Amino acid sequence: MTDEGPRSIAPADGTAADTQGIKIVGFLCNWCSYGGADTAGVCRFKQPTDLRVVRIPCTGRMDPLFIAKSLIYGVDGVLVSGCHPRDCHYAVGNFYARRRMEAFKAFLPFMGIDTRRFKYTWVSASEGQQWQKVVTEFSEQIHELGPNPGVRRQTGENSKVSTGLR
Amino acid sequence: MLETDRNQLHKLVEEALPELDMVIGWGQSTDSFQTTPVFVRDAKQISQLTLGPFCSQNLTGYLVKPPALDAAPKEGAKPIGICVKGCDSRSLVALIQEKFLTRERVRIFGIPCRGTVDWNKVGKLVDLSNVKSATVEEDVLVVDDSQTTHRIKLEEVLARKCYGCRYPNPLIQDVTIGEPATPRSTSIESSYRDVDRLDAKPLEERLDFWQSELDRCIRCYACRNACPLCVCQDKCIIESREPRWLTQRVGIPEKFLFHFIHAMHLAGRCTGCGECERACPMDIPVTLIKEKLNKIMEERLGYSAGLDVEAVPPLLTFNPGDTEI
Repeated sequence: MTDEGPRSIAPADGTAADTQGIKIVGFLCNWCSYGGADTAGVCRFKQPTDLRVVRIPCTGRMDPLFIAKSLIYGVDGVLVSGCHPRDCHYAVGNFYARRRMEAFKAFLPFMGIDTRRFKYTWVSASEGQQWQKVVTEFSEQIHELGPNPGVRRQTGENSKVSTGLR
Repeated sequence: MLETDRNQLHKLVEEALPELDMVIGWGQSTDSFQTTPVFVRDAKQISQLTLGPFCSQNLTGYLVKPPALDAAPKEGAKPIGICVKGCDSRSLVALIQEKFLTRERVRIFGIPCRGTVDWNKVGKLVDLSNVKSATVEEDVLVVDDSQTTHRIKLEEVLARKCYGCRYPNPLIQDVTIGEPATPRSTSIESSYRDVDRLDAKPLEERLDFWQSELDRCIRCYACRNACPLCVCQDKCIIESREPRWLTQRVGIPEKFLFHFIHAMHLAGRCTGCGECERACPMDIPVTLIKEKLNKIMEERLGYSAGLDVEAVPPLLTFNPGDTEI
């Protein structure tokens, strides 16, 4: 691939054109949501194009640190999707994942990261319509929030925020 | 009172030592005010052992980090004696819970704790480089810096974790030294005041706070090394090249990610002993990050680490019934 500079990834009809270059990372379980996204594609349901999909074997593989790393380095949104609870291909993977992601979701804002940039959901392989809905809604939400500034790379003038700790 | 407790400790260790491989405790350091870990194998060393508010280090890490115990102790190996405060005993419980130790492997000398001194705080009031002596009289810390004698209220210079301490008395022990202590806190609210204070600020200020705090981080990993529950040792993903989570770049994002890794790997396991913060050379409130996760675990899953040897850490199990934890 040649480097042609920034290219528009927005659809030609102008939707989401004002926040070009928004990047959303999707972590989809191989057995349900990845299939669901495929179903949506096969059925030709219109979807936003901001999502980059990473296929994972099961949401049980979902390390909350994947989300942390993405958001710290400036990815605009992270969407995790797997099989519905009690429907996991490996029986219990998504039960573990649910606890981890709930705890992580509650923890994110404490570190100053907007928790609205992270969403997890359950979509089965047959729910193409549902997938379209989830992606569209989440994408809209991220477009509303705008680009994620991430964590400042450079040492700034040490902005002093007092917590009264010391 | 400290004197009688110390004598009692010496006596109990002396009685137990023949049956033990060694006793890990605190001893006077060379600089007259701090303490240093002591490994007593010989009756002659017993007199080095001390206790009291200067004994801030959590010694349980020595049981699981190299050079420590043999992973598989030899047949008939003697147990190891260890001195623990309330908070340290929770680390022991957690280690037993996760099967890094068996209860029979340790002989626990429980020491009720009335709070430990944070020398960084004292250092802001007194020039520590000239300290001649430091003693504790009831609830006053007396520091002689060769010019004046400073009398500081102990309550003002305690480690941050001590103010919200709910378990000053060891939760598992074989013997107790001294009278039980009264907890400074009895509720979730009063234990997580610092967390709530930061949580009350707007999101941007929180990010600002952590950016400026973690900016100072030099990634020496002292917090990880000091943590008794950071047990991956040379398998730690912070240093692994495959998978490569962290690079050698010196930006703040790398520091954020490092502290996220440390915190998430301790989620539902951290007992809040405060070792990470104590070990930090840059004075970063690292324990605060874990405190938030502890609070989440406690409020949403009703779980506190290191209280029950039989319990399963909440992120290592699940309940099909939970919807939103």
